[in-house]
Amino acid sequence: MPRVERTSAATWEGNVARGGGAITAASGAFGDLPYSLATRIGNPEGKTSPEELLAAAHAACFAMSLAGELAGNGTVAEKVEVTALVTLDQVEDGSHRIVSSQIDARARVTGVSEGDLRATAEAASKGCPLSALIEASAAVTVKATLEGGTDGD
Amino acid sequence: MATERKAEVTWHGDLMSGSGTVDSVTSGAVGGLEVSWPSRAEEPNGLTSPEELIAAAHATCFSMALSHGLAQGGHAPEQLDTSAAVTFQPGEGITKIALEVDGRVPGMDDAAFAEAAQQAKDNCPVSKALAGVPEITLNARLQS
Repeated sequence: MPRVERTSAATWEGNVARGGGAITAASGAFGDLPYSLATRIGNPEGKTSPEELLAAAHAACFAMSLAGELAGNGTVAEKVEVTALVTLDQVEDGSHRIVSSQIDARARVTGVSEGDLRATAEAASKGCPLSALIEASAAVTVKATLEGGTDGD
Repeated sequence: MATERKAEVTWHGDLMSGSGTVDSVTSGAVGGLEVSWPSRAEEPNGLTSPEELIAAAHATCFSMALSHGLAQGGHAPEQLDTSAAVTFQPGEGITKIALEVDGRVPGMDDAAFAEAAQQAKDNCPVSKALAGVPEITLNARLQS
């Protein structure tokens, strides 16, 4: 399969404490989203942040990977809901690091047991390239639960 | 104090023919962004993808780190224009991120700007989280 390139462009004006910028996706899917340091660390006040964008990337990457793993097992998810929670924290040397990304998946899929789903979710995290990258320096946890209306057990 | 940011994604169907949405994020800045495998692995057709969101995360993180480094050195920037291009090889993973920055920084020379940009590339939290990407390149240009 050919290589794929995706680009986003960010502007920034001023110093880090009082300045701010905006982020635009080359696809056109979103544009001119404001970001700043104060809202990255404190109350977001409607502004996005690197960690939030990374959470969105991780949730989307994992959801696609899980859909792929389920299909590979001959099952299709009616619906998968995935949240990714990314935590930025100060570490011992005083710098800020992304310390964890917690994935929580809820799947409505027939013919699959809770145990099967958990194993599939683990495989999905291994298959999501972003999980592997984050795992090198931060904790990636995966929780997967079946949602109502299934007869898998 | 730790800062948490969350995103919620819903997916329907299998990978190849199904589709999903980034429904919401903590800040409310985006919502209802569609995603699909064809738009991730082929032409985007106006849809975002994990790799584009990674590019957005990296470009914003790098810009803030560079602004911080420049200001600490006594040269707060007037403006920084950063782009991050993420290369995704299906079946292999994320193989490259190319960062480019154009800066307008009063009283600064090229070498000092290049050094500050290198520091930001090495140390911003998203760079640290993505340190396993095989190739991360940087092209820093100072505007006169």
